[in-house]
Amino acid sequence: MGKNLKNTSENTVIVEHLVKNFEVVEKKGGFLDGLKNLVSPQKKLVEALKNISFSISQGELVGFIGPNGAGKTTTLKVLSGLLYPTSGFTQVLGYAPWDRKPDYLKQISLVMGQKNQLWWDLPAIETFKLNKAIYELPDSVYKKNLEELVDLMDAKNLLYTQVRRLSLGQRMKLELIASLLHKPKILFLDEPTIGLDVVAQQKVRDFIFDYNRRYKATIILTSHNMEDLMDLAKRVIVINKGEIMFDGNLKELINEFAKEKVIKVYLSKNTDMKEVEKIGKVKRVNFPQITLSVPREATAVAASEILQNFPVADLTIEEEPVEEIIRRIFKGEISQKNTSVPS
Amino acid sequence: MSKYLQVFKISLEQEFAYRLNFIMWRIRNVLQILVVFFLWDSIFYFQGRELFGYDRDKILTYVFGLIFVKAFVLSARAQDVAGEIGRGEILNSLLKPLNYFKYWLTRDISSKSLNLFFAVIEFGFLFIILKPPFFFQTNPLIIFLFFLCILIAMFIFYLIVFLVNAIPFWAPEMSWGGHFLVTIILVEFLSGSLFPLDILPQNIQNILNLTPFPYLIYFPLQVYLGKIEGLLILKGIIISVVWVLVLWFVMNWIWKKGLKAYQAYGR
Repeated sequence: MGKNLKNTSENTVIVEHLVKNFEVVEKKGGFLDGLKNLVSPQKKLVEALKNISFSISQGELVGFIGPNGAGKTTTLKVLSGLLYPTSGFTQVLGYAPWDRKPDYLKQISLVMGQKNQLWWDLPAIETFKLNKAIYELPDSVYKKNLEELVDLMDAKNLLYTQVRRLSLGQRMKLELIASLLHKPKILFLDEPTIGLDVVAQQKVRDFIFDYNRRYKATIILTSHNMEDLMDLAKRVIVINKGEIMFDGNLKELINEFAKEKVIKVYLSKNTDMKEVEKIGKVKRVNFPQITLSVPREATAVAASEILQNFPVADLTIEEEPVEEIIRRIFKGEISQKNTSVPS
Repeated sequence: MSKYLQVFKISLEQEFAYRLNFIMWRIRNVLQILVVFFLWDSIFYFQGRELFGYDRDKILTYVFGLIFVKAFVLSARAQDVAGEIGRGEILNSLLKPLNYFKYWLTRDISSKSLNLFFAVIEFGFLFIILKPPFFFQTNPLIIFLFFLCILIAMFIFYLIVFLVNAIPFWAPEMSWGGHFLVTIILVEFLSGSLFPLDILPQNIQNILNLTPFPYLIYFPLQVYLGKIEGLLILKGIIISVVWVLVLWFVMNWIWKKGLKAYQAYGR
């Protein structure tokens, strides 16, 4: 499959009709079922990726979003050579990733928020030295890269402390440094801010942003953290149940998926909430303010109804915020293009 | 090459990170040897008694020889491989331009050299305390053959460990079970690290000699003690080298399949 294909365009990542199926042995709790399973395992086919296609240019910072089990991590693992695809065409930097050629591996890095590469019982500097040897970095390059990264991450005083004595946020900084010492052209980030506090999250985000800009590195990131995506990714790929639902500018997400508008009403007098509920879905009541969401096409009617029937001091109509849309994506409520959310 | 030199260094540092653990383990080792020593010492209490072709000197040399041979052969970091696979930490290595087999072999060698260092100290310590009659082999050819056997034994054990540790590719919860079955039961029992195997009935010995296990401990020690000579040494070396080759091919085959299963599965 495409082993000898040259990279003809500026596309760093090319994925066409990628399919990945897992065969999973179903496990049940009981002892008898366990025995039965040993004799004849109940296999189930899981379609993790169903025919997805996309391409990413050099220097792009792309966010993958979707609910749990949507196929985000599977995609990253295929791209970084950890998984064989079932079918389809995948090419990264001109290589077939799963060949795991040393020349390819030297140009990529995958950071998994939940799996550490730092040696737990030793100071991080030891892992860095090891990576220097593994990636065959000359002394001067190693020194320069390390200095830059430590500076960027503000991690100078952490290098010589045993890793297990560090906080999660400190460790994540060092994990990132360890993964970037060889200056990968492509960086895959799987939940890089998971478990971090707000301050540490922001630091990691700033770092990713800087790294992308400074080195024109291509970065593909999955996250459950809304801020990660809002802050970092201009382009997002929404994936659900192994299919790509949306691929484009973050702002266009609203046009694509926002099928509701938000009406904020300031009442001058208390009123019967039951009456209000007839008009639209009540999102929040914080008297005197009531927030309603109504289908886009019914916005005008709903607004005039409110104005006629309730003691309104003020009324505004807003677009559904991006956060809300992303939240719905995470919940898996957006499962098909151009359908509104069932209420 | 410098890649693996660095792996060697960091492994050594890692070994030292758990100092207390390490010390306890060495103490366990010494106690184990003491138990076996006193067992055989009491059996051969009467001067001039000979059992199974062993006199007191030779059996106690066997016991003391165990200290060295075990330090060389039966210490393997690679036992952690199963856990790495089960926990998915192997992914970190697969992402790097690094040969996983050589990586663990290097870690093993670093662990072995540390063990050997302490084994020498323990040997001296026990030697002074117990003043055992020790049979010093003086024939340089035999000493050379002894070290050759040890080298082969190291490879056999490493290959067995690497093979057994591939089980979690298919059954992630089996990581400890496989280790227990093979290294505790099979290796400890059948390799001669508890008793010299020639006290077993001859037909059982004949079967055992066709398995790789006696070549881990028993065979090298017998060579040292001069209890095996000439063509029999050659025969043993040939059988053990054949085992190295067989295990090498099986290991490669299993790992290729295992990695494929793992890559198909994806934890």
